[in-house]
Amino acid sequence: MKETLLLTKHMRENPENSHLIEVYEKNNGYSAAKKALKENNPGEIIEEIKTSNIRGRGGAGFPTGVKWGFLAEDEERYLVINADESEPGTFKDRILLERDPHQLIEGVIITCFASNISKAFIYVRGEYAKPARRVQDAVEQAYEKGYLGKNIFDSGKDLEVVVHLGAGAYICGEETALLNSLEGRRGEPRLKPPYFPAVKGLYNKPTLVNNVETISSVPWIINNSGKDYANLGVEGSTGTRIFSLSGHVNTPGNFEIEMGCSFGEFIDTFGKGIRENKSVKAYIPGGASAPWFTGEQLDIKMTIDDVADAGSMLGSGAVVVMDEDTNLVLAAKSIVSFFAHESCGQCTPCREGTTWLEMILDRIASGRGRASDIDLLLDVCDNISPGLTWPPKMTTICPLGPSAVSPITSLMHSFREEVESLLPRKVLINNE
Amino acid sequence: MSEEIKFTVNGTELEAKSGELLIEACENSGIHIPRFCWHKRLEPVGMCRMCLVEVETPRGKALVPSCTTEITEDLVVDTESEVVKKAQEGILEFLLINHPLDCPVCDKAGECPLQDQTMAYGPGESRFVEEKRHFEKPIPISEIILLDRERCILCARCTRFSDEISGDPLIEFIQRGNKTEVNTFPNEPFRSYFSGNTVQICPVGALTSTSYRFKARPWDLKSISSTCNCCSVGCSIELNTSQNKMLRILGEDNEFTNQGWLSDKGRYNFDYLHSENRVLNILEKNDDSFNEISTSEAIKKITSKVKELKNPNIKFLIGSHSTNEEYFVINQISNHLNKDKFLSKEKSNVYFCDDLLSRGYFEEKYTQATFEDLDKSETIVLWSEDIKDNLPVLYLRIKKAVRNGAKLIVFGHTNTAIAGLADFYFGKDVVSNNFDLMLNPAELKDFKNNVEGKRVTAIVGKAAVSQKKESLDKLVDYLNEISELKLFNSFSKGNTFGALQNIHEIKGLNEFSTEFDNEEKNIVFTIGVNPVNSSYFGKAIKENLIAADYVISLDLFINDTTELADLILPTTSLGEKEGTITNMEMRVMKQNKILPAPGSTLSEWEYLIGILNAMGINIEYKNEIEINADLVRDYSDKESLPTFDNLNKPSNLYGVINTKPINITTKDLKKQDFPLLMVRRLYGDSSTQINSPSISMLGSERFIELNSSTAEKYGISSKVGNFIQGSNSISIKIDINNLLPDDLVIAPINRRGFENIDPSKDFEITEARNREELSVN
Repeated sequence: MKETLLLTKHMRENPENSHLIEVYEKNNGYSAAKKALKENNPGEIIEEIKTSNIRGRGGAGFPTGVKWGFLAEDEERYLVINADESEPGTFKDRILLERDPHQLIEGVIITCFASNISKAFIYVRGEYAKPARRVQDAVEQAYEKGYLGKNIFDSGKDLEVVVHLGAGAYICGEETALLNSLEGRRGEPRLKPPYFPAVKGLYNKPTLVNNVETISSVPWIINNSGKDYANLGVEGSTGTRIFSLSGHVNTPGNFEIEMGCSFGEFIDTFGKGIRENKSVKAYIPGGASAPWFTGEQLDIKMTIDDVADAGSMLGSGAVVVMDEDTNLVLAAKSIVSFFAHESCGQCTPCREGTTWLEMILDRIASGRGRASDIDLLLDVCDNISPGLTWPPKMTTICPLGPSAVSPITSLMHSFREEVESLLPRKVLINNE
Repeated sequence: MSEEIKFTVNGTELEAKSGELLIEACENSGIHIPRFCWHKRLEPVGMCRMCLVEVETPRGKALVPSCTTEITEDLVVDTESEVVKKAQEGILEFLLINHPLDCPVCDKAGECPLQDQTMAYGPGESRFVEEKRHFEKPIPISEIILLDRERCILCARCTRFSDEISGDPLIEFIQRGNKTEVNTFPNEPFRSYFSGNTVQICPVGALTSTSYRFKARPWDLKSISSTCNCCSVGCSIELNTSQNKMLRILGEDNEFTNQGWLSDKGRYNFDYLHSENRVLNILEKNDDSFNEISTSEAIKKITSKVKELKNPNIKFLIGSHSTNEEYFVINQISNHLNKDKFLSKEKSNVYFCDDLLSRGYFEEKYTQATFEDLDKSETIVLWSEDIKDNLPVLYLRIKKAVRNGAKLIVFGHTNTAIAGLADFYFGKDVVSNNFDLMLNPAELKDFKNNVEGKRVTAIVGKAAVSQKKESLDKLVDYLNEISELKLFNSFSKGNTFGALQNIHEIKGLNEFSTEFDNEEKNIVFTIGVNPVNSSYFGKAIKENLIAADYVISLDLFINDTTELADLILPTTSLGEKEGTITNMEMRVMKQNKILPAPGSTLSEWEYLIGILNAMGINIEYKNEIEINADLVRDYSDKESLPTFDNLNKPSNLYGVINTKPINITTKDLKKQDFPLLMVRRLYGDSSTQINSPSISMLGSERFIELNSSTAEKYGISSKVGNFIQGSNSISIKIDINNLLPDDLVIAPINRRGFENIDPSKDFEITEARNREELSVN
């Protein structure tokens, strides 16, 4: 089993300077944009994207071509690149921003041409100082070359790109919170409906919000074809995907592969197995908000639909491996703490519930648990995510609250004894 | 536009307007859905999640917040399912885990939505065993408001009110997640004219007011509906008393007028009722001090004085705080004077205590506007004193109309608080320093385009005492010609319209001082007025009162005016008398009595009738109802007469619009060129405010405003200084306002220190010279 390099080929081949425009252009960079703007009309590009069947790489896996098709008519429309990559375990956009920013900008140019957009924003996670600098430099280089600005590539089209650095909030990866943040408001998710920013987004104008990896794939699709892209991977999960592998593997990192292999194969091939040859106790298939799989579930296929069918999500492509020595209560607590810390505080169940869950887990982990705590944990979870179903229902405004529920339900579903072992036994009164 | 559609709640088919919010539609059908963040006058935010209900969707049942879900045809809703009940219980448990259990010492307890809904929908006990969130308990966020962040449930009602409704977003959420708190910005207190509304709409005891804190329990309060008389908007209020003390005033949601809101002045200006400085017995001046005498003695003194002076001039100097019934009696008196050999009608005159009375448009060719017209108008035109300071709740209504798409056109240069809302602001280039229109209104393209053929509501009145009426006429007549004009006369003080309706010959303060003849015999009645420290003509009036033969003041306090009286007759005030008042829409509304008249106070009409009866003039009224019965005869619409009975009907609780003919003629001032423009601010040193400890500090600042080039001309660069005229020197704060024209200085008319300033005379402004002077302000 080997990697298939579409998006990471250029950076692998030019490890020192792949981010420079000269190097990018020497390796055929911006040829897709030039070709698209000269030879294609916008409709053809959207068709090509639809044919490729690429699905959004941000986590929800929504078909990109369909999303572009939703974009409502208006004089003013925007493209926003969601580069607020903050999901614990996910670090794939980082390399795309840091080491191949021109590929992203080229994708932005083609996307904006296809959707008749003349202003794009790249919203970079606040902690990504170096990637943001690289993107900013790249945008400036592109302006100098005339690839951005007025009359780009002599096409008569204008395109302004603004790089915006977030202020350190995970919630701003939620697209409507991101839009609020861009507008200078508090980074809080907007109420739905309207469900799609493509209808009413930034400054209430139709807005495409796409992930870095999704848009970085666009130049390859245009240079080759939607059909070529669709031939990679499997049906429903076409193309390649950059998986971020971390946890107790020997060689963590980003690996670009065609979707379709099993998690076990992936962990063995690219992670070179588990440290000290231990076995896998559990793993997270798609970022911290995804429910966990156990060591017995390593043969699940790495496709959007297979993972969904098994009760979790491929999400942002972050695979986190936990070996047999892992204290799963602490692992769950660590994830819940993250969500409690990142809750925007807008709605009651998330603001109060996530912190309460964190407190209960902390009590259990430190030996101060009560016999009733398992029921309590599950009931608090149920009040955030009624029925504890997957995909989750929610009493909250956005899915952040239910994200904190995932590790707990996973823990209780597959590792309940481990939790119970930390709790005092129930005292039986009158042999009840 | 909004058709009736059918939807189903808990198996029952109901009707609602298309697009109506689920929570509201259910409420209208008698189905209560619990809520915290939702408030019908604020934009819904769906934050507290208390109002979750189940609706049927193509993908099965889903929990949705009913405050953000619009009714659609055939929507099927369940507000009582097990899932809904579980969610509601869960939300309440979440809200309570960090809510302190200090109900026993919380002002809100007993009328607290969190308490009530916990009883109705909440879990019996908490499963939360950890430490609750802690914040410093209550922190003052302004002079009159305290914030307890531990009690706060982060519903954003207060922050939304400040942002959407009052437009001064001085409180905001800071931090995030579990650390989120409401707070002010550093060094910027929550100084809003409308801050008290946030206390009223807070669903817990997080926001409290200094005036009501720890004063009472809601179940001990007596309450009655009434009408605020602080300005001529006529907000509906609820008076709360306990043990014969006024403790609180709340806004009532009157769809036609205030829609629930009040200004802080209207809300908190009541402590004076129980001030130890209030005059409760009749006082007679002997040499320089006042002695208490009885009512019968006082009336005897007055009658013998009238006889002694032999047909003197009788001058009534009346204010805006009397009821229509009291004005009616004053009018009756001057009609009856001929029946006495010592008095004649010709020598009796009524002067209303307003500098700017010569600015009304009451002829039949103009159509009176209502506040509802503002909501429906395409363009709103404003030419008046500062609306935010003088008619604060009207400011909120205008802001609402603007938010809903009406264009706002503002003329003038002192109306700067509302300038920020204006689509077109015609300031110093269009309006002269004396508020005269410098060009033909048709020449202003943006103005013409937005009024021609449009539904226009105009709020007009003289904005400067020196302004010529014909200048304003030009604008009003032009509007009347080219637009569908409805018009408000912006008399802003209390019951001005009631006085105009009920007193047939009425003059302004300008006339009082110009008509006053020292050679003649003069008896002056001042009735609830203090022109000496709140008028352009203050200085002249003071001299007149000193020169008068006999001055009788009907009032609450000894102040700059009443201290000049020979006799002070203590009167009743808010909540101590019953009557009607007329607001600027000509809506007649009821004021109700909930407190007994304290001490030996009487209502104004009781004194006046008593005096006449003692002189053998026979007008007999036993109570306000009898006066009212006489008074309503002149009203035009006989169907809905503003009788007490009518106004007490539930359908008329918020007043009836009914008109009486009004006729006023007063003259422009001769002198037109004043270097000083004196404006009225919401807060000032009125006798009632300085005797209301909870808000007395708000009107104490003395200031001037001028633009930066005028400041340069005076050689001022610091922010404090002195205002000097003759022997008067006032230490002042200096505010730069570049919307003002050159060579114009603005000063407050209703703040202490300025009472002896003559705006028509020259003055100096100097910078503070030393540290001591700097610290004065």
